[in-house]
Amino acid sequence: MAPIIRVRKLEKCFGKLYVLKGLDLDVETGEVLVVIGRSGSGKSTFLRCLNFLEEPTAGTIEVDGVVIPAGEPSRQHRSHIQQIRTKTGMVFQHFNLFPHKTALGNVIEGPVTVKGMSREKAIEIGERLLGWVGLMDKRDEYPARLSGGQQQRVAIARALAMEPKIMLFDEPTSALDPELIGEVLDVMKRLAREGMTMIVVTHEMGFAREVAHRIIFMDDGVWVEEGTPKEMFEHPQDPRTKDFLRHIL
Amino acid sequence: MSTTIVAATQPSADAERNLAAQRAKVRGFVIKLIVVWVGIFVALGVGFKVLRFDMSFMYDRLGFIIAGIEYTLLVSAAGISLAIILALFGALGRLSRNPIANGLATFYVSFIRGTPLLVQVYVWYLGLPQIGQQLESLGLTGAQKLLTLPAIPAGILALGVCYGAYMTETFRAGIQSISKGQAEAAYSVGMTPGQTMRRIILPQALRIVIPPIGNDFVAMLKDSSLVSVMGVWELTYRATKMGRRYFRSLETLTVAAIIYWVMCIVLQALQARLEAHMGRGERK
Repeated sequence: MAPIIRVRKLEKCFGKLYVLKGLDLDVETGEVLVVIGRSGSGKSTFLRCLNFLEEPTAGTIEVDGVVIPAGEPSRQHRSHIQQIRTKTGMVFQHFNLFPHKTALGNVIEGPVTVKGMSREKAIEIGERLLGWVGLMDKRDEYPARLSGGQQQRVAIARALAMEPKIMLFDEPTSALDPELIGEVLDVMKRLAREGMTMIVVTHEMGFAREVAHRIIFMDDGVWVEEGTPKEMFEHPQDPRTKDFLRHIL
Repeated sequence: MSTTIVAATQPSADAERNLAAQRAKVRGFVIKLIVVWVGIFVALGVGFKVLRFDMSFMYDRLGFIIAGIEYTLLVSAAGISLAIILALFGALGRLSRNPIANGLATFYVSFIRGTPLLVQVYVWYLGLPQIGQQLESLGLTGAQKLLTLPAIPAGILALGVCYGAYMTETFRAGIQSISKGQAEAAYSVGMTPGQTMRRIILPQALRIVIPPIGNDFVAMLKDSSLVSVMGVWELTYRATKMGRRYFRSLETLTVAAIIYWVMCIVLQALQARLEAHMGRGERK
């Protein structure tokens, strides 16, 4: 089967700063890929290029058949970005819930505004998703009254409401108090078990070991090493990978 | 050395004494403050006596002057409404990457903020008809009639356009204060930039700019006195007219000043209540 994500020669520069240095990547449907690496190695930038929150400087991104070469934003380019964004859901480090909307309001915003779904139908989906992340009782609460873990679970429900084919997680537990990390990881594990294609940037090595099909170690804008969790944790090859794992484990 | 942990069940006598002293200090300050205010009013009263203020004249003309509130409020309310609309478009223009929109908005803010409001009032009232006359002579029939504005619409336009320019900057700051993550979250579910602005950014930004809008409204209420130069029968016009007629300007102007002051106090109280209301629940 053709990969659902195909990245070719992806480069990203912020001004003179060369961040991503020509990355290739194929991700299969249903695969859980975990990207690890030091802060500043380019992991988040890579993830954000996939749904064009960052415009790639060069290269090609293909998501579920939609191919976008880097380049000037034309009308067609923008409509393709829109298509990719509806196929991918994203979860952010700082949750980014809409503070002026309730938990349910956050979840149904996408379906109603983007898909033009009726409110009734969207609420039905939204309630099912809030139930799925275990927050049905917080349906009408505003984000300010939810804990970090609860906010992040609402954020996951919000992303899932668009029925994406791929979920991108950008350090989803890095801003959480230690006792709240588990509840978010549990939701992510269930999502993985249900067969969602996931790309996860994280420092949670336990999660990577347990859930990932494949782990990529990134350093200084390039892939250094990739393998199964077993290969990566037990027999890392590259000295940089070894050094990183020694410090984090 | 061992540490003994003995939990006290209530503050010690020392703590109580210090707390009481603190409270007494705060109370003392409030009392002194009240004395100062009372002193100011007594001094003013004495001053009025010395200056032979005609209190009964002030009282008699109060009704005549107070009738000007209607126009003052009308011009201010219409002016602030126009200003809010202009400021919204102005802010979007200032933040736009479209060179035409950005250029127009930047020029608007710079030019209007760089010229006195009184000059602008005269331009709307006296300058515009001249432009109409020119256009008429160039063959645009009806231009003169259209551009010769009565005093009240001219005043509303002058105030609205002027405050719109100042408020453009307020709105822009409000929009920019919303974290980038909000727009990114909206984009990530597939919302367009327009949808993101309307449904995510603006509702949050408007909440933030309510206090400054309130301040601007209070300021406009007072600047609305400038429309008196066009002969609108609002507070200031009535006060000066009556004052000149009887050579009692100080009295009539004092009356007008007090009316403005009371209106501002009422508005600020309303604004505080509105803010308290908006601040419930959703925000920390």
